Amino acid sequence: MRAAALVLLAAAWALCVPLAHADDAVERGRYLATAGDCMACHTRPTDGKAYAGGYAIASPMGQIWASNITPSVKFGIGSYSEADFERAVRQGIRKDGARLYPAMPYTAYAKLSEQDIHDLYAYFMAEVKPVDEVSPSTDLPFPFNMRFSMAGWNLLFLDDAPFVAEPAKDAQWNRGAYLVEGLEHCGSCHTPRGLLMQEKSSQALAGGSLGLWYAPNITSDPVSGIGAWTDQEITQYLKTGKVSGKAQAGGGMAEAITHSLSKLTDEDIASIVTYLRTVPPVADAGMTRSASSWPLREGGATTAGEARLRGTSLPLDDGQVVYDGSCASCHGSRGEGSADQYYPSLTHNSTVGAATPQNLLATILSGVDREVAGEHVLMPHFSTGSYVQPLTDTEIANVATYVRQQFGPGDSVSVDDVKRARAGGPAPLLMTLTTYGLPVAAVLFIGLMYWLWRRRAARRKRGL
Amino acid sequence: MKKPTFNNGDVEADVIVVGSGVVGALVANQLVAAGHSVVMLEAGPRLKRSEVVQNWRNASFERRLGSDFQGPYPQSPHATAPLYFPANDYVALTGPDASSFRQGFIKAVGGTTWHWAASCWRHLPVDFKMKSAYGVGRDWPIAYADIESYYCRAEEALGVSGPNDPQRQSPRERSRPYVADMIPWGHGDSTFAEVVNPHGYNLVPIPQGRTIQPWNERPACCGNNNCQPICPIGAMYNGIHTVDAAEKKGAVVLEEAVVYRIDTDAQNTVTAVHWYDRDRVSHKATGRQFVIACNALETPRLLLLAANEQNPTGIANGSDQVGRNMMDHSGFHCSFIADRPIWLGRGPAQSSCMVGPRDGSFRADYSANKIILNNISRVPVATQQALALGLVGDALDAEIRRRAVYGVDLSISLEPLPDPTNRLTLSTSRVDGLGLACPDIHYSLGDYARKGYDKACEQLRHIGSLFNAEEFNITTALNANNHIMGSTIMGSDPRDSVVDENCRAHDHANLWLPGGSAMVSASVVNSTLTMAALGLKTADAIERAL
Repeated sequence: MRAAALVLLAAAWALCVPLAHADDAVERGRYLATAGDCMACHTRPTDGKAYAGGYAIASPMGQIWASNITPSVKFGIGSYSEADFERAVRQGIRKDGARLYPAMPYTAYAKLSEQDIHDLYAYFMAEVKPVDEVSPSTDLPFPFNMRFSMAGWNLLFLDDAPFVAEPAKDAQWNRGAYLVEGLEHCGSCHTPRGLLMQEKSSQALAGGSLGLWYAPNITSDPVSGIGAWTDQEITQYLKTGKVSGKAQAGGGMAEAITHSLSKLTDEDIASIVTYLRTVPPVADAGMTRSASSWPLREGGATTAGEARLRGTSLPLDDGQVVYDGSCASCHGSRGEGSADQYYPSLTHNSTVGAATPQNLLATILSGVDREVAGEHVLMPHFSTGSYVQPLTDTEIANVATYVRQQFGPGDSVSVDDVKRARAGGPAPLLMTLTTYGLPVAAVLFIGLMYWLWRRRAARRKRGL
Repeated sequence: MKKPTFNNGDVEADVIVVGSGVVGALVANQLVAAGHSVVMLEAGPRLKRSEVVQNWRNASFERRLGSDFQGPYPQSPHATAPLYFPANDYVALTGPDASSFRQGFIKAVGGTTWHWAASCWRHLPVDFKMKSAYGVGRDWPIAYADIESYYCRAEEALGVSGPNDPQRQSPRERSRPYVADMIPWGHGDSTFAEVVNPHGYNLVPIPQGRTIQPWNERPACCGNNNCQPICPIGAMYNGIHTVDAAEKKGAVVLEEAVVYRIDTDAQNTVTAVHWYDRDRVSHKATGRQFVIACNALETPRLLLLAANEQNPTGIANGSDQVGRNMMDHSGFHCSFIADRPIWLGRGPAQSSCMVGPRDGSFRADYSANKIILNNISRVPVATQQALALGLVGDALDAEIRRRAVYGVDLSISLEPLPDPTNRLTLSTSRVDGLGLACPDIHYSLGDYARKGYDKACEQLRHIGSLFNAEEFNITTALNANNHIMGSTIMGSDPRDSVVDENCRAHDHANLWLPGGSAMVSASVVNSTLTMAALGLKTADAIERAL
């Protein structure tokens, strides 16, 4: 009886082996899709079906809609062969030949290994449920609606060679480099972009503006970057999005933590930390103190705490009055946060203390939403439609100034700064050019593309 | 999306909702979601949360100590609401228990749930049949089973946390779990439960309209402990949240719009309501269905004010019951110093409650009660008491600390019966800022609840003894609990009731009066969830009628 059971078990085991191989690819692909954070863009938050698209990525040129990447034949990638899939992921070319915008981080995914592409493909085809829903199509203004121009852009800026390990470095460093430069595509946000929106490789991970939010400098510079953070702090930040008395993730980083980084293995997080440690330091001009080093400032024009306010009839848009009425109940009247730091302090806070108030305004205007291991962190926004109370431009400018002066570097925030943030944040030069001289800029843009393309093609021909 | 149409200051929509509190907002939100055009007319102003927060923080010690929850709210000069520090004379009270009916309510967009404790109780099944079960009061024309699904929907609309352990539910008859499990108890709640529950008092978690995890866009409660007069972070459900939701779907809210007149046609269907804007210019709102949800004090006042040729004693008042059967959970307090640390004041203002005395055969003779362990911080009271002892310096600090830690306050609610002589009428001498008659109310607690008070005192003395209470005190003067009910009472007979089982006025086929005014029995629990459930039931009926 027992022997028979064993035989059966062995037979079952033998049967399972080939299946297990296929499942391994799918399971690896599932993890890779998480590490690549495909979900953050390709799934509409709160009510979206997994990978069905319908999420608008705010770009300086306009909204770029993430597509349906479920294996739906009609609306998704159901008809893609593995080669088609690879072309889309690594080169930004759809099956129909149209070019993707680099909001899809194919310039980073180009680093992916053949095996990883294969596993990702296996996962998407076998495990993701096809959703027969069309995702809105992207409609950028001229000249950016000419997708073919991306071919020229790719020639200039796409290095489509897969990742090659650095033999002088150990396996952990190389794994970290592969993740940071490839799958996690950290540079897509954290590397500043040039005139044509290309990542400036000379300033890798030195910080970049993404419209409303600013992805800070994460080079190893001890003041401008994260060189002074301990390994433990970086690890905790990547896994939870929060290091009390230092930094909290909002905006796109909160999404990256929620969907991707918090779900990586400890080994992969350790690899990322190892690699980030070695990213060449880039110092921000004029920055003398780290963003998270600002303490409570006593004295000055106002004094934190409630004493100044009680028994007075200061105007309702006074910065400290707004702070007391809309912020202090959680963050404390002196910016100290709650005792357990569930509500973070605003002193020693990299959002408040950053070189510019961009992320402070972004936080006020769009709130914070992060979920890690069942713990949901939600700071409500104070923009139009706020669940708590919408604030006016003047109120936001005044409260941001108050916060910067009491708990941060001490500069002022203007109503124009708030208006600009509400409109989506500072525009890159390319967009400014097209706004103020659209036809001229369009001609210049296309001309530049053509010239660069010819030049590069000619150099290639000559074997340069 | 269908939008109301404006013409020269007048407006036309499928549905006109007068009042933008939790009930009116829920009705508006459902009907606009169903594709109908909706206008909400609100007598009061639109509030700024931070302004109310500032007003409360700037309030004097005396006002804090006296729980002046009305004072921090800005009022429109044309829409007076009661004030008590000092008292205005908006509502004049008469009768043997006049002083116990000093109600607080807010006239503003979002209504009185700006300053509630967010307690979201259901009536017990037996509360719907007081007459047939206990021979007192009246039966509702509906049973608990008819409203149970609406209770579920109301809990979902308000985001209610409550005990999912059936042993701690009151009532246990539920078809769905709460939106979130109970708000965790503080030290005081647990300590009290250990001591009193072996004696049958059954201290249970209060179901409440807040969550400790973010819910929808709502932040997690962080225990500021001043739910009344204002949740400073929007973690507690306020009617304004449903107003916002309705507005996002296309409903139009007109604030500082005081409705004063109602037009009816030959069939006595309502054709229009008229309102004064902030400049006292009159406008007209025409529609197909009309909802009046202004709370159980302002709804009957408006119906009486709007008397017309065809309805000379008031709109919907063929039964002469409009304004009668006024109820509230007349209440009182019991305070003492316990023999062990209680630490009240952590978490929401109300967190646990004794429901043991909520029901029993005794209800044939006298009123039930519920005893809330009032979780509002004891520091202001402790300070007042310690100062009165003449202490200074470290001794003063130590005494404040001791009293804040060991002090207990219990808030007891009684159940009045519907009594037609407890009645709201229009003043013949006082008018509001628009020249409209102010309300007068005659109120008598009645022997049933009076006897219930005496029985509750026996229970309280027993509870005090379990804690070896010092300075044990029970208030003799009754206080209002702001749960106004009964004034357009529901029933199946148009001769002795104002609205039918869907809160539709017997006299007017397209006039709906949902909320506390329709309630037939008060039970002993806070009325908001029942009001909200009635609102949703009404909204379903209006959808069918449209």
